[in-house]
Amino acid sequence: MVRLKDRYLLVHIIYTDVPAGQAKDSVPDLLLYNQPTTGELKPQHLLKGIRSEVASLFGDCGSGAIDRSLQVKYLSPATSTFILRVSRDHHRLAWAALSFMDRVPVRNGRPCVFRVVRVSGTIRKVEEEAIRRAKLLVLSAKQEMSGKSSDALGALLRGKDQGRSLTTAADQDDDSEMEDVDASRD
Amino acid sequence: MLYDLNIAWSPSTPLAELERTLKFAKSLGYDVVALTHAIPLPIPTTPSSIVSPLPTLAPSPLLPTILRRATLTITDPATTNYRLPDFARAYDLLALRPANDKAFSWACLSTTEIPALISLDMTAFLGWHIHHRTAMAAVHRGSRFEICYSQALGSHVDARMRANFIGNVMGLLRATKGRGVVVSSEARSALGLRGPADVVNLMAVWGLGPEKGTEAIGTGARAVVVNEGIRRRGFRGVVDIVKPAEAPPVSEEDTAAAEKGKAEKAASGKARKKAGQGQKRKNGDENQGTISKRQAKKLRGDAIKGAADG
Repeated sequence: MVRLKDRYLLVHIIYTDVPAGQAKDSVPDLLLYNQPTTGELKPQHLLKGIRSEVASLFGDCGSGAIDRSLQVKYLSPATSTFILRVSRDHHRLAWAALSFMDRVPVRNGRPCVFRVVRVSGTIRKVEEEAIRRAKLLVLSAKQEMSGKSSDALGALLRGKDQGRSLTTAADQDDDSEMEDVDASRD
Repeated sequence: MLYDLNIAWSPSTPLAELERTLKFAKSLGYDVVALTHAIPLPIPTTPSSIVSPLPTLAPSPLLPTILRRATLTITDPATTNYRLPDFARAYDLLALRPANDKAFSWACLSTTEIPALISLDMTAFLGWHIHHRTAMAAVHRGSRFEICYSQALGSHVDARMRANFIGNVMGLLRATKGRGVVVSSEARSALGLRGPADVVNLMAVWGLGPEKGTEAIGTGARAVVVNEGIRRRGFRGVVDIVKPAEAPPVSEEDTAAAEKGKAEKAASGKARKKAGQGQKRKNGDENQGTISKRQAKKLRGDAIKGAADG
C-alpha cells in the first residue's frame, strides 16, 4: 500500500526589534527575539502567505507540488510557534519560501525572521520538541530576568543534544527524523 | 562551529544597530563572524597606509568572535595589483569582488596576493560564464568562492534580481561542482540573517547538497579563517612559537669554527658545496630544523675542535 509521506516543520517567528512605538529600554535579548505575535495571525493568513511566496519563487510548478498537502497543524501566536505539514518530496520548497518571507503575513505585519527548528516525519516528535523548547525558554527567561547567567538555554540545549547526529536518518519507515544543524546550538 | 564570513558594514552604520545584528547572529548559532568593509571603487593608489576603519567591540559571551574583512570591488586589474598586500596586512580576511570577465580571471589566476575569498554581486546580470577551469584553478590556488544569500532576501529585491541571483548561483555551483564554496550572508541588518539550517536548505534547493552545504558554513569557512591566520602569523613554515630555543652559549667560537670549517673544506674536492654550507652557518641560521644531522654533527665536531684549540 502506498503511503503519503509528509514532513512536519516546527517554525519559530523571531523578531529583532521592539514593535514600532515602544521604547527600546533594556529588554533582555531572549525576550526580544521570542516576542508573542499579533492575535490577528490566523492559519489562513499563514497559508496564504506561504502559498504566495512559493508561487513567486517557484511558479506554478512549485505551487502545484505543495498546495495539496500544505496545512498548518498548530499555531500559537502567544509563543510565535507553528507546525506546518508539507509533502516529503517537496518540503524544501516550502522551507525555502519560509526563509524568503520577511514579515508576518497579516496587514501591516511586523518584519520578522522565520526559523525552522525541527523537521520530522511524525507530528509527535515535533510536538515533543515544541514542548521541550517552550519549557527551556521559560526556564531561561526566568533566569535571565532574575539576573543570573544568560547562557542557560544554550548550555541546557547543548548538554542534552551531545549525542545527536546532524545528518538525515534513513527514511525507511514513517518515524524517520531529520536533525537540524541548529537544533543543538540555539 | 558555524561561521558567517560577511556581515556588511559601512561607515554610516550606527554602532547600536551593528551590535544588535551581531547579537542576533550569535543567538542564531554563528560563533565567528567577519565584519566586512566594502571598499568602494576608486581604490586609493597613493601609497598611504591603510588603516581598517572597522569598529572594535568589547568581547562578551553574547557576541560572536568578530574578524575584520575587506571586500575590494575590482573592475580594472592593472591598478590594484600592487595594493593587495597592503590591504591584506590591514585586515584579517581579504575578498575580491570582480565586476567583469577580465577582472574575474585575474582574481582567479594571477593576483600577487591570493585572496581568501572571491565573491560576486549575484543580483546583477553577470555577462560571462564562469568556466570550470578558471574556477577550479582558483580553488587549487587557495581561494574560495563565496555565495552571499542575503543578496536575494529583503523587500527591496525584485523578481528580476532574484532570478539573476539564482541563475548565477547555479552557474557557480555547476562550475565548481560544489567544491571550494563558502556561504555567508551579506546582511545589512539583523533581518537579513537566517538560521544555519535555513541557509543549508536554501543551498540544497539551488543545487548544493546538504553535506556540502553544512561544510560551506562550517569546516570550509573555518579552513579559510585558519589559513589566513597562519599566513599572517607564521613565518617560513613556523606556525607558532611556543618556547623559543635558547641561544647557544658559545657564539664567537662558533663563528671561528665556521670560518675554519670553510677554509678546510675549500681545500678539499667538494669545495663549493661545503663552502655553501659553511656560508649558511656563518649567517646564523639558527633554525635547527633545516640543518641535516650530518651538518649538525660537523658543527659539534668543529665546536669541540675550536674549543680544544682556543
